[in-house]
Amino acid sequence: MRIERTSTQPHFSGLSALLIALMAAVPAMAQEADEPAAPIDARFAAADVEETPAFRRHVVPLFGKLGCNGRACHGSFQGQGGFRLSLFGYDFAMDHESLTSGDDPRADLEFPEDSLMLMKPTLAIPHEGGRRMEADGWEYRVLLRWIQDGAKGVGKQHPNLERLEVTPDELVFAAAGETAQLQAVAVWSDGTREDVTPLCRFQTNNEQVADVSPDGLITAGQPGDTHVVAFYDAGVVAIPVLRPVSDSFGPNYPAVPAPTPIDELVVEKLRKLGVVQSETCTDAEFLRRASLDITGTLPTATEVEQFLEDSTSDKRQQKIDELLERPSHVAWWTTRLCDITGNSDDGLVNVTPIRGKASQDWYDWIYRRVEQNVPYDELVEGIVLATGREDGQSYLEYTTQMSDLYSPDSNASYSDRNTMPHFWARRNVRQPADKALSFAYTFLGIRIQCAQCHKHPFDQWTQDDYKQFTNFFTRVGFGRNPASKNEYAALIDELGMKGKRGNDLRRQLIPLLKENKVVPFDEVYVTPPRKNKKAAERGKRQNKQTAKNRRGGRPTPATGRLLGGAEVALNDYDDPRVALMEWLRDEQNPFFARAFVNRVWAAYFNVGIVEPPDDLSLANPPSNQRLLDHLTKEFIAHGFDMKWLHREIANSRTYQLSWQPNETNRLDERNFSHAVPRRLPAEVAYDVLQQATASDEQAAAMQKTVAGRAIAVAGAGRRNRRGPGYAMLIFGKSDRANNCDCDRSNESSLLQTIFLRNDQETLAMIDRKNDGWLAQLLGELQDEKQARKQARERAAKAGDVAADRKRLEKLQTNLSRLQKAGEDKKVAQVQKRIAQLRKRVDRLTEQSRKRQPEIEAAPEPTQPAVVALNSAELVRQAYLRTLSRPPQAEELARAKQHIEDAEATTDGVRDLLWALMNTKEFIVNH
Amino acid sequence: MAVHRTCDGIKRRDLLKVGAVGATGLTLQNFLRWSEAGQTSHRRAEAAIFINLTGGPSHMDTFDLKPNSPDEYRGEFSPIATNVPGIEISEHLPKLAQCLDKFTILRGVTHSLGAHALGQQYVNTGSRPLPSLEYPGYGSVVAKELGGPAHLPPFVAIPNTNQKAGFLGVKYAPLRTGSTPKPGQSFGVRGIALSRGLTQGEVERRSHLLQDLDRTFHGYEADNQLLDGLDRFGQQAHAIISSKRAREAFDVSRESPEFASMFGATPFGQSCLLARRLVEAGVVLVQVTWTRIDGAMNNGTWDTHKQNATSLKEHLMPRLDRAYSALLEDLSQRGLLDETLVVWTGEFGRTPRINGDAGRDHWPHTQSILLGGAGISGGTVYGATDRHAAFPVADPVPPPDLGQTILHAVGVPEDRELQDPQGRPIPASYGSVNGQLLA
Repeated sequence: MRIERTSTQPHFSGLSALLIALMAAVPAMAQEADEPAAPIDARFAAADVEETPAFRRHVVPLFGKLGCNGRACHGSFQGQGGFRLSLFGYDFAMDHESLTSGDDPRADLEFPEDSLMLMKPTLAIPHEGGRRMEADGWEYRVLLRWIQDGAKGVGKQHPNLERLEVTPDELVFAAAGETAQLQAVAVWSDGTREDVTPLCRFQTNNEQVADVSPDGLITAGQPGDTHVVAFYDAGVVAIPVLRPVSDSFGPNYPAVPAPTPIDELVVEKLRKLGVVQSETCTDAEFLRRASLDITGTLPTATEVEQFLEDSTSDKRQQKIDELLERPSHVAWWTTRLCDITGNSDDGLVNVTPIRGKASQDWYDWIYRRVEQNVPYDELVEGIVLATGREDGQSYLEYTTQMSDLYSPDSNASYSDRNTMPHFWARRNVRQPADKALSFAYTFLGIRIQCAQCHKHPFDQWTQDDYKQFTNFFTRVGFGRNPASKNEYAALIDELGMKGKRGNDLRRQLIPLLKENKVVPFDEVYVTPPRKNKKAAERGKRQNKQTAKNRRGGRPTPATGRLLGGAEVALNDYDDPRVALMEWLRDEQNPFFARAFVNRVWAAYFNVGIVEPPDDLSLANPPSNQRLLDHLTKEFIAHGFDMKWLHREIANSRTYQLSWQPNETNRLDERNFSHAVPRRLPAEVAYDVLQQATASDEQAAAMQKTVAGRAIAVAGAGRRNRRGPGYAMLIFGKSDRANNCDCDRSNESSLLQTIFLRNDQETLAMIDRKNDGWLAQLLGELQDEKQARKQARERAAKAGDVAADRKRLEKLQTNLSRLQKAGEDKKVAQVQKRIAQLRKRVDRLTEQSRKRQPEIEAAPEPTQPAVVALNSAELVRQAYLRTLSRPPQAEELARAKQHIEDAEATTDGVRDLLWALMNTKEFIVNH
Repeated sequence: MAVHRTCDGIKRRDLLKVGAVGATGLTLQNFLRWSEAGQTSHRRAEAAIFINLTGGPSHMDTFDLKPNSPDEYRGEFSPIATNVPGIEISEHLPKLAQCLDKFTILRGVTHSLGAHALGQQYVNTGSRPLPSLEYPGYGSVVAKELGGPAHLPPFVAIPNTNQKAGFLGVKYAPLRTGSTPKPGQSFGVRGIALSRGLTQGEVERRSHLLQDLDRTFHGYEADNQLLDGLDRFGQQAHAIISSKRAREAFDVSRESPEFASMFGATPFGQSCLLARRLVEAGVVLVQVTWTRIDGAMNNGTWDTHKQNATSLKEHLMPRLDRAYSALLEDLSQRGLLDETLVVWTGEFGRTPRINGDAGRDHWPHTQSILLGGAGISGGTVYGATDRHAAFPVADPVPPPDLGQTILHAVGVPEDRELQDPQGRPIPASYGSVNGQLLA
């Protein structure tokens, strides 16, 4: 076993432990030096220990270690057996109160040994949770000593945990069964250090690669890599653990190409693991993969052929550039940005008077910015800082502008606006706490919801962090701005709608809007701070209605704290979101650019560098830290240029690897050593069905415009009436409802397979009349029939020539007879007639000679048009339009045979198209 | 395999998604073997039929009559005796009156959400709707918890449903039939019936072609969940599409015309018949939603804002009476009733006081709900309302308790926790089992 940074901290034992324990009993922890206090199990090993443990440092973590504050036990929100602890123990005041107050407190100060909190977990009296500790163990003594000392809580001046140091900081194992012990040292803000290994919670992110005991002993398992995580107080530290997959690691690693910085960093990790990347994919695989990822669209048959024939050396790079300029790229990535930002019809009910318009606004606004490749931070700024009114508009100006925009005669587009405020208008983010959650999900890629109710179990976030972050959103509102109450009332009066409200009002406004009248619009607005209670009271008197409706006139929070960042004086800001935006833009922001880079990466590789991509957290570290750091840094350095990011990723060798694995990377799904086959996203899956079944003309058109495409449907959710609802539902289009990337599902399911095989919608696509491929083939068969008919007609004419020839022969016999008879007059007539006939016969003969091959090629129409279309060519076309590659010899033979055995060519082709659309190769991107 | 972390600190692995529709471990091999042995119609111990009368049926004209209340309240219907002495229901439900021993009337179900959509969500999930979280309907919860046989979807909605999979995800979304069966006509469901003109032979021919051409990933399936899953789903799909039994379960035309006519030649009646067939075949939860009657007053729904009594007696109640009583009798005679929970509900009750249009408006404070079958002590009335049928005066039942009781009756444990996509634990129900309703 090789330990990257060797630990020299063996556990203390025997006499020295006792000594240390005695020393540790001196109050306030005297260890200023590097040497941390010995672990608590050693210090409390002896029965006559005199040290007093501290509630926050020792007692609460011990509850965690013993499992007392878990969700199934006293950490449950209802408590257990009348006793409740905060889940994962970060609510020290509540926990202290639960232990020390009430009629029958758990800690008995008078008779400490009789405390319930000692007798139950040692089973001195029955305990539903069973035995948690021994009566002569160190755990027991820690709790006993704490009670004996008066069961004190956490003082106001208690130092904070600065950091948790865990050693070794990386582990590389060589064989299964090898072990290594972790040591964790807590460093407090007063400078004290303590070995807290026995008080840590440990967890492995993959127990098959590395298992970890409750004491922090790691045991190596299968080859692979993962992290072991240590938790103590708010500290969360993840230690990488890996075991090479093959012998080819480190210096033994083969020389492999790594043409781009991405490749270098990916290979750097793979070298440690002994995993070798697959070969690069074929041109056909590349074209299909890149087209699907970049544009959500299949290449056309012609495009595939052209690309395969192209011998330019940088044709892949050129193709990437070309794909990035297509409208389908803009549409598909707008859809993805709508996923992240949460553009859902369900959330936008009644945000504007016309149903479905708000989600379209949202889509259009982003579409234009993706089309212009506006930097990501600017795009985000247009959402984060958005209010209904722009540029100091009055309410009337705002609502006039909106009414104009929504009038049927309007030429203007919502995307003309500088900002897009609907993000803040959604009804699932009406509460500040929900806004905080949605903001964190969308722009930071983190999940803080756990911290709403308790300390986040897998991250640093505490309830206080969540609360402080929520404070940024308290003043952001949607609806009628209380400051413009009078203007609103005046407008309502003017329209003769006084007294009407809610749906009733909305219903009546729609026709007025259609008559180009100015109607009131709701708006996203930011209220000024309410500074203190006095002012709030004054406000209450002045505006009873407002005070009643809006947060009861309480002062708005004066400060907020950025997640893991600085405290901000909110009253200094007209709009506290400005502080958030500045923080997002800060190069040091650990989440903003990183979250986006990681999400884009995940879209190209099936998994993020952090996976799941929206869970950037301490306990969920990236599979390749340096790779994510590099991309984040460069993305910022390139001015948040989204196209740069797409190009950088798609041009890497790593992106262009084959899906075919080798012995070393067979099981790898996290380190980008080969392409991982993944199911097409819902919209793309539906669109490729449309494409594969489309006529050549229609397929070509689908590349030029996105009209009618599932990737260009604006909204989502069950109220969304646009697009193919059933297919979107079963293929898992994001409903954008839960602030989770997992709102989109790329899992496969039985209903999907049934849809592809046997649903009327799919079958009807194959047989569609106007612009389907089968219809086109049928048309071509019809044309052939037509051609044959003409040929027959010509043949009939050719028959005429024969008759003419006979007539000519007859006339010539006649002529010689007349000449012999000397009937000169008649001879002249007949000669003239013969000349005419000969001319005609010559002309027809010449014509028929030219047409001869065609006539011969046309078979007798005894059989229905069967072999008329070249079946090999049909197979080839079917493959190109579905799998984006020509068939292999065996495939060609099998498919050709099927077509030729069919009663009618089109029946055979229909079967083939159906079969190809149901191959795994079709529905996965690979 | 991805490790999914949950808020409660428990790690869960994503198991192979193959069982997405049937979580029972019923493998294809088993299915094929059983279907060969003719046992696929073997039903499971727990199933439910959930009948949803959209619009909100008037409780005081159906199951909670107040003949002694003032005229502006009581309405024109009179109570009649039932086959359970002492219990009376509306005169326009004569057939149901004769099988009252098979169900329990809950007269004090109460909540406060008077809008259709919200009331529907509340009653169909048992959890008060939140804007930030969509609760799954009972069907999706039951589909997740109980699974079902491989050749049938676990949750079928006829023709449609207000129950959503919510935070449980699309895997547990219902299969919607989209239409209702018509008497004597064959009936199939989206994707399951063979498409028009396709013969079994053609399906086989195509499948062979597919099998021969689908070779690109051959040999690599074992290392990739997706490829492996697609293969298995392919086999299952083929089994279902070519399974006569699956098709037949949906095809009510296989019932004799005389028998089918017991349910009434109405969309609702035939839906109830289909529900029984599906439950018998192994579907775990079938929801039947009222099909509005074309051209009838109040849009042919139970939302009787106008001409309440006329709507009820001429259109709504006769159809209900016939279909629902036939369903209970049918289940009972087949011995399925003891294992099948039958729930009858709307989103709320209706105003006790009759309005100016001779109608009744929305009234969530009280409604009557019927529970029958699996483990429910039939032939009783639970709860009571005041003299105007306005508010419960005894044994009120809030929807969460109703929900927990429903889940309990079909075999979902009381403290069952579900998870939203982020792994937050959310109780399957926030209510308590009402032991008094159970047999």
